[in-house]
Amino acid sequence: MSYIAGVDVGNNTTEVAVGEVSPDGKAYFISSATVRTVGIKGTIQNAMGVIEGLDTALMATPLKRKDLSLILLNEATPVIGDVAMETITETVITESAMIGHNPGTPGGEGLGTGITIRLESLDSKVPGVPCIVVVPGNNDFQNVVARLNRSMMGNARIAGAILQNDDGVLVANRLSMRIPIVDEVEFIDRIPIGMPAAVEVAAPGRSIEKLSNPYDIATLFDLGPEETRKIVPIARALTGVRSAVVIKTPMGDIQKRSIPAGKLVLMGRGRRVEAQVEEGADAIMAKADEISPLEEILGEPGTNVGGMFEHMRKIMAELTDQPVRSVSVRDILAVETFKPQKVVGSLAGEYSLGNAVGLAAMVETHKLPMMRLAAKIDEETMVPCCVGGVEAEMAILGALTTPGATAPFAILDLGGGSTDAAIIDRDGNIQSIHLAGAGEMVTLLIDTELGLDDRELAEQIKRHPLAKVESLFHIRHEDGSVQFFEEPLAPKLFGRVAVITENGPKPLDLDVPLEKIVSVRRQAKHKVFVSNTLRALKRIAPAGNIRLINFLALVGGSALDFEIPKMISDSLFEFGVVTGRANVRGTEGPRNAVATGLILAQVERGKKNR
Amino acid sequence: MKITEDIVREVILEVLRDLAGNGGLGSSAGKASAPVEFKLIGPAKQGVDKNEVVIAIPPAFGTAMTSTIIGIPHQQVLREILAGIEEEGLKARIIKVNRTVDVAFMSHDAAKLSGSGIGIGVQSRGTAVIHQKDLKPLQNLELFSQSPLLDLATFRAMGRNAAKYAKGDSPRPVPVRNDPMARPRYQGLAALLYNKEVQYLNPDKPPEEVAVRL
Repeated sequence: MSYIAGVDVGNNTTEVAVGEVSPDGKAYFISSATVRTVGIKGTIQNAMGVIEGLDTALMATPLKRKDLSLILLNEATPVIGDVAMETITETVITESAMIGHNPGTPGGEGLGTGITIRLESLDSKVPGVPCIVVVPGNNDFQNVVARLNRSMMGNARIAGAILQNDDGVLVANRLSMRIPIVDEVEFIDRIPIGMPAAVEVAAPGRSIEKLSNPYDIATLFDLGPEETRKIVPIARALTGVRSAVVIKTPMGDIQKRSIPAGKLVLMGRGRRVEAQVEEGADAIMAKADEISPLEEILGEPGTNVGGMFEHMRKIMAELTDQPVRSVSVRDILAVETFKPQKVVGSLAGEYSLGNAVGLAAMVETHKLPMMRLAAKIDEETMVPCCVGGVEAEMAILGALTTPGATAPFAILDLGGGSTDAAIIDRDGNIQSIHLAGAGEMVTLLIDTELGLDDRELAEQIKRHPLAKVESLFHIRHEDGSVQFFEEPLAPKLFGRVAVITENGPKPLDLDVPLEKIVSVRRQAKHKVFVSNTLRALKRIAPAGNIRLINFLALVGGSALDFEIPKMISDSLFEFGVVTGRANVRGTEGPRNAVATGLILAQVERGKKNR
Repeated sequence: MKITEDIVREVILEVLRDLAGNGGLGSSAGKASAPVEFKLIGPAKQGVDKNEVVIAIPPAFGTAMTSTIIGIPHQQVLREILAGIEEEGLKARIIKVNRTVDVAFMSHDAAKLSGSGIGIGVQSRGTAVIHQKDLKPLQNLELFSQSPLLDLATFRAMGRNAAKYAKGDSPRPVPVRNDPMARPRYQGLAALLYNKEVQYLNPDKPPEEVAVRL
């Protein structure tokens, strides 16, 4: 009787299985453990995590490290993935032609047109025409009210006001006449004075109607057909906001400009194709498909994407002690995304959603740094340690212990850095593939689209469902269900959107509605995992036909996600594939497949040798 | 060393003299401004309007004492808090809490009387809390503990955030500055102002609702 341990070092977690091999060559699993990976997968630093994992697994048994006769490591294909973002459009307003923003509380309601005039000038030179009063932030709201009321009593005709402070409601409540007031205009000094302007404020819960319609703007400013054509972008930019100002300036315009973001050079099948990043994700992926399988990808130096490729090559070269030139990029996943950006030339600090391309890439080498790790563990634990078998094969062997599974059988390993797939046919032949883009890509997309600039926070949002804390005694989950509490919740949760973690609700310091966060999170997962699932399965399926796969099991960390497995299974339903989370050995869920497979493979080898 | 009342008095007077010499902070505190014009409405009632925020002040606020620890007139403090609430489209009621000047309990009393369950408490020296009725008295939604750092913009933001909580929004907490020197510099003065404020309490008197002319 002997005891052996299987160890799977992954990007994020190190998983251990301990098995007892009986004299007749049967394996009985007695313990398993999951710990965090120390260092980058495939480096000597992993040894600490491996030993911790072994000790954790052995703690549940009467065994000591010295009782083990063998430690098996996964023969990880040295693959690392990384992600980068390139913004490809920006919005530019010229000549301060418009303000379109959603201050929380604009004042008054309706539409007013007139000539822009400073508050200070109201007393001295009142134009004979209606005017729009521009009020800088150093004016107290009571002074503003007094001045406006005085002018209204006199001969001035005031049609609307633009305030720098958040005083819209305060001023509107005290005026003798009802006028629309747009407030919180950050750069009020940039508003051109003496120009025709229109101010519109919609009722609460509605958006403006006149200034978002080019013909209404044409009516208000008496524009000809050619000028009307020019203001279409302004009208479009103002669609859906609650308050807006349009100022008629000679060259005023708003544009969506594309930002040059460099190019990618894709190489494969002896061909070389260039793709411009600003053409968007779909164009890049179409070109990549054209020359698949990819052999090498080069990014333009000086761009985010070029920087990412170089960074990955460097890490991989250091890892494997190879020259940087011999490391090649094997796969990319490009995804369309949005990034909230400050509008160039804006008056109120408005944001618009710029288009962006998210890129995940994966590099691969042939040398195996796991050998060095095995030697290190051997030395540290005094137990013989060797590299046990190819990761994909081990994962399939492990996943096949799922009750109800049998060959032909495919697995999808949804990890942090890469999405891997493997398939085994009736004769035991295994095919596998690694694709760029997985959990970390989802985190990047959430981070970018919500404008968080905080990966940790994005990770939290990715992992947990949301709820809104409606009172200290109840929360409303994102699916609409209500949960009550006997004890009051912590004050920091009051009124907040919270992530529901294992340790209870945790507040998010975000001013974004729950529905928006949910939709961004779901779309990010869909964009990465569903498209990668289809991409991966097409490549490994017999004759490239997904319908020919009967059983598919999901393994890996992201298979534990609360919604990804359902998304994948929905997308594969039409192909008639039985899809579900693996349940390794009937006990481990989607975890521990490789570690389990290592032990099973060792037992098989032992039988053959006998 | 035995600390007698006389020694304490002497130390405080010294601190005050020192402050007066260093930019005249002491001289402007607690007095100097015009009193606030209050009109007594009657005993404070339980509110039913969901769109109100209740502000609690101690008896000395705006009368026996008229400005905060850094000399902001109480008139303006109330004006900014009220403006912040009004800008968000809500209403405010002001109550005088006669039983305590502990800002936690004052503001909790306000929250309990508020139809929205949200209340603000402000001491005469400026220290303030935004409270919610279901919280324990010593908890809070937002605490503004360093009175020397509270300016008019902070009081406006305080009113705005309280109104947003009442609306069911999730406002970002008002950024509170922190100055480690504020404590040693103002501690003596703060204690004096507190002691003065306490003298105007009447523990048996229930809270009263007041109107204010601004």
